[in-house]
Amino acid sequence: MKFKIDGLTVYFPYEYIYPEQYDYMMDLKRTLDARGHCLLEMPTGTGKTITLLSLITSYMLANPSVGKLIYCTRTVHEMEKVLEELRKLQAYQEKCLGKVAKMLALGLSSRKNLCVLPEVSGEGSRESVDAGCRKLTASWVRALALDNPNIELCSFYEGYEKSGADALLPTGVYTLHDLRAFGRERGWCPYFLARHMIQFANVVVYNYQYLLDPKVAGIISKEMEKECVVVFDEAHNIDNVCIEALSVNIRQQTLDGATRNLSQVTQLIEKSKATDANRLRQEYNRLVEGLAQRGNLPGSDTWLANPALPQDILQEAVPGNIRRAEHFVAFLKRLVQYIKARMNTEQVESESPVSFVTSLQNQAGIDQKSLKFCYDRLHSLLLTLEVTNTDEFMHIQTICDFATLVGTYTRGFTIIIEPYDERMPNIPDPVLQLSCLDSSLAIKPVFEKFQSVVITSGTLSPIDLYPRLLNFHPVISNSYKMTLTRDCLCPMVLTRGSDQLPVSTKFDMRSDPGVVRNYGRLLLEMVTAVPDGIVCFFVSYSYMDGIVNSWNEMGILQDVMQHKLVFIETQDVVETTLALDNYRRACDCGRGAVFFSVARGKVAEGIDFDRHYGRLVIMYGVPFQYTLSRILRARLEYLRETFQIKENDFLTFDAVRQAAQCVGRVIRSKADYGMMIFADKRYNRHDKRSKLPGWILSHLRDAHLNLSTDMSVHIAREFLRRMAQPYDKAGQGTNATLLSQADLERMEKK
Amino acid sequence: MMDVDERPLRLDVDDDGAEEDEAMADRGAFERHYADERSWEELQEDESGMLRPLDVAQQQRQHRKRMAAMAGPHIQRGIIRYVYVLLDFSRAAAEMDLRPSRMGIVADCVEAFVREFFDQNPLSHLGIILLRNGIAHRLTDLSGSPETHIKALRSNMECAGDASIQNALDLARGYLTQIPSYGHREIMLVFSALSTIDPGDILEAVQKCKEANIRCSVVGLSAEIYICKLLCDQTGGIYSVATNEAHLKELIMEHAPPPPVQAEISVASLVRMGFPQRGAEDAVALCACHREVKIGGGYTCPRCKARVCELPTQCHICGLTLVSSPHLARSYHHLFPVPPFEEVANMAVANGRQSISKNCYGCLQELPTPGGKVKGVRLACPRCRQHFCFDCDNYIHESLHNCPGCESTSISSSQPSQ
Repeated sequence: MKFKIDGLTVYFPYEYIYPEQYDYMMDLKRTLDARGHCLLEMPTGTGKTITLLSLITSYMLANPSVGKLIYCTRTVHEMEKVLEELRKLQAYQEKCLGKVAKMLALGLSSRKNLCVLPEVSGEGSRESVDAGCRKLTASWVRALALDNPNIELCSFYEGYEKSGADALLPTGVYTLHDLRAFGRERGWCPYFLARHMIQFANVVVYNYQYLLDPKVAGIISKEMEKECVVVFDEAHNIDNVCIEALSVNIRQQTLDGATRNLSQVTQLIEKSKATDANRLRQEYNRLVEGLAQRGNLPGSDTWLANPALPQDILQEAVPGNIRRAEHFVAFLKRLVQYIKARMNTEQVESESPVSFVTSLQNQAGIDQKSLKFCYDRLHSLLLTLEVTNTDEFMHIQTICDFATLVGTYTRGFTIIIEPYDERMPNIPDPVLQLSCLDSSLAIKPVFEKFQSVVITSGTLSPIDLYPRLLNFHPVISNSYKMTLTRDCLCPMVLTRGSDQLPVSTKFDMRSDPGVVRNYGRLLLEMVTAVPDGIVCFFVSYSYMDGIVNSWNEMGILQDVMQHKLVFIETQDVVETTLALDNYRRACDCGRGAVFFSVARGKVAEGIDFDRHYGRLVIMYGVPFQYTLSRILRARLEYLRETFQIKENDFLTFDAVRQAAQCVGRVIRSKADYGMMIFADKRYNRHDKRSKLPGWILSHLRDAHLNLSTDMSVHIAREFLRRMAQPYDKAGQGTNATLLSQADLERMEKK
Repeated sequence: MMDVDERPLRLDVDDDGAEEDEAMADRGAFERHYADERSWEELQEDESGMLRPLDVAQQQRQHRKRMAAMAGPHIQRGIIRYVYVLLDFSRAAAEMDLRPSRMGIVADCVEAFVREFFDQNPLSHLGIILLRNGIAHRLTDLSGSPETHIKALRSNMECAGDASIQNALDLARGYLTQIPSYGHREIMLVFSALSTIDPGDILEAVQKCKEANIRCSVVGLSAEIYICKLLCDQTGGIYSVATNEAHLKELIMEHAPPPPVQAEISVASLVRMGFPQRGAEDAVALCACHREVKIGGGYTCPRCKARVCELPTQCHICGLTLVSSPHLARSYHHLFPVPPFEEVANMAVANGRQSISKNCYGCLQELPTPGGKVKGVRLACPRCRQHFCFDCDNYIHESLHNCPGCESTSISSSQPSQ
């Protein structure tokens, strides 16, 4: 349908719209008008994606000055879903407007997901596909192939290159699958085609990394104009993504690998000296002129004041001591040696980048300025040496990332060296972590560069904390409720077991056998009352292992198995995938199943337990982070000093958002229904409860706040019976959940 | 450098804040259920001292809406049904959340259902299968006698073990595939448990039921179960879950009227039937069904002259379907039902013609008028335009299956021509 919001005609491909979608559009429109950023929380299952797409593309149609829509998702799966929605939207727009509404939208992913050459795409990991591709498409390989027809090349890349400027995608919406099909048909490489087409596209859908990780962003996103609208979907963990993008871990094997790489590089240098000394010479000259003139790093471009590469570095010449290849290799050897020495320690050390650089200067004679250039210097060296199997040089790249970061930033980072794992103090496993503490660093350039950034997710509560964490000023931050025709959500706070004793995963209570037994009884009662799938989330792997063991000894697990099969998430991805698969099958065939999972684990983040796959989710305890972790403590201290966020506030915020994320897995659409049990007495306290997202809180009745096991079982039975009754999907009168075009026109008039 | 003390941060400063509202939220379980609804305020005492809900008309409208939804449009219905009733008597049936126990209430409802079923579908057959201890056990064969089923069921009231839907489906399908093609195959499962523990692939069993054109319906006792929903969706049955005892009975009874025929199998076919004569009162003959000598009563098969005790049935000797003509007539109303009555809006009563009737055409009770003492809805037959009260509407559509207004007008209009 077609309707007006503040004078803007919006094309919406469905017959009806939810009231909250309409409100969302209003706010979004205001943000775009104000050319500012916004923060919007809307529960999953209310059609967030189509709302965003429909309003922004309609806005782009009305205001051609607005550039692209850059839509960032977390996973390839989500990317495909966005593009599918977009396809519907595009079809509708074309129906309404005809040829005017030409839209080119495409998804961009790594070579692994786009390569169509069977020999290469068959490779397992992302790195090996990248390397396999480079082997066939690097410029020097192709130059050699001109003389020697025996050298293998990628036919698709050749096809793409041959067509030159004619290699264009016709308008339309392309999922990754469509791109591959198109590439196969034309004989063009989909990956390079997609990268090329980004500058012509109206809508680009890709991963967070392409904007946030400075290494990738520099290559992919440099050509985006300022007028773009950026959307981060499912952004509740965006601060962690930002931090990860700028954090480096160095382990023993990284160092070993780096040493190996360096000797390989030395050999390569020797070889190329013998055969083609000129090439190294040329590189030297280039470096004297400065990186900016080198071509692939456009210094004057307004794109991204690259957080890893501050402006000045781009204009400057590379320091003399690392210009020559041999010198640079020697420099890196010293660096690796130094790090190795530092890691060979007995106790935990933690220091700031400044003191690390100072001691590096004193002991290894390495200055800060050269450190800054490591990343690009290595990049240039590998290009000069015509290295194609870049996946093998991963380790030395890690070291150079580390060096550049440590050389660039004096604040917002900490370096922590731990000689062994906390849990296994006997096994030496030294690790050096360069940890970013400030999530605003990585995202800052994005906020600065683009006129509108939309951060949205199903769970962003408490919404006032995100602007502080990411250090920006949203024009609008809002949280929407879900309009429902029936109460299909049933959150409960369980504070006591059936013996009326409090339950909690608090440190001093968690190993109490009474609490363990009460938690077990809760599960046992629930499996007899709830059909199909139940998901249980625990606070950590170790806690889960412990409690499942105790349940096994108490015989609770055996009783549970009489009713439902039990599956457990492990740290092994393959094993977990298998468990999930079997869990789904058990739910499908009516056997019923329980899935034990861990908050913050892979399952809690990415797997949906909608419909019968999750009728009930039990959150055992409050998933606080491991508060002894040194990185966390450093971050807490930094947050307190820099952003005035209290430690407890942040920890509670983080724990509750994880809990909300876990329980939110259970409901993915309005037709769905599910129960959520927060099994910890601490959830009853105001500071925890009030941080839950509004759409959960609005269903949390006062009578459901302080329940014991028997009461919650009673409520569960009632709820399930009520939900099994047929219902009217549209709702009537005041609780209408679907608005038609006529309704909207009426609202507009008012 | 930060100093690290080996104690987790104190995240729980005080737990006392929680205690205050504990008293509030901690109402007794007996209060909780009623406090929110305040159902007593919706009641009113009438002149005879009976308690009645405040808005009678509203309630009657709701009832009518429900009935209308059940009746659906005028469609072809299969009146020769072969139904297996699958009863889950597994461990879960012993639960007492429905009084006296799930098993008890199910048995009561099924008993009523069996009687109602044969009353509405005299040409149909029914059998009972019990799910117990993981296996399916056939309690009674497909037959037309309500008493046999009820007796067998009453003598088999115990529950144990797990339930297996797959086993039950396979067993029922095995019997149902043998029946003649004009019969409508149905399965009605009353399911207490929350899981089915099967030896094989239940999805395959569902698929086979679908292929065999068996309509499977499920009445759940506790919650919606995915596999049951799938089964009903795939085979065109109804899935419903009971909220309380009365609702359960209503849901089971919903299956008594014949279901609409699925389009793809609705091929008209001729069925050979016999209309046996009732034997003389003092005749002595060997009964074919009980294999014993009986005196008096009984019917004689017109084809093979064998003797049967009850109608309707199949002749035990030649297999001919034996019915009596009232049976056929009783099934007939499903095909040509009385049209649903329309509600007469109050406005029409006030402004309309003076000749509007004050009394119900059926029972001569006073009809509700605006401002009048009698509350409720006023209904009119769309054919004869006579007005009826709510109770008569129910009686006409559910039991009588004839509209008194239409019947008498047809008589009065035909009289002058004579």
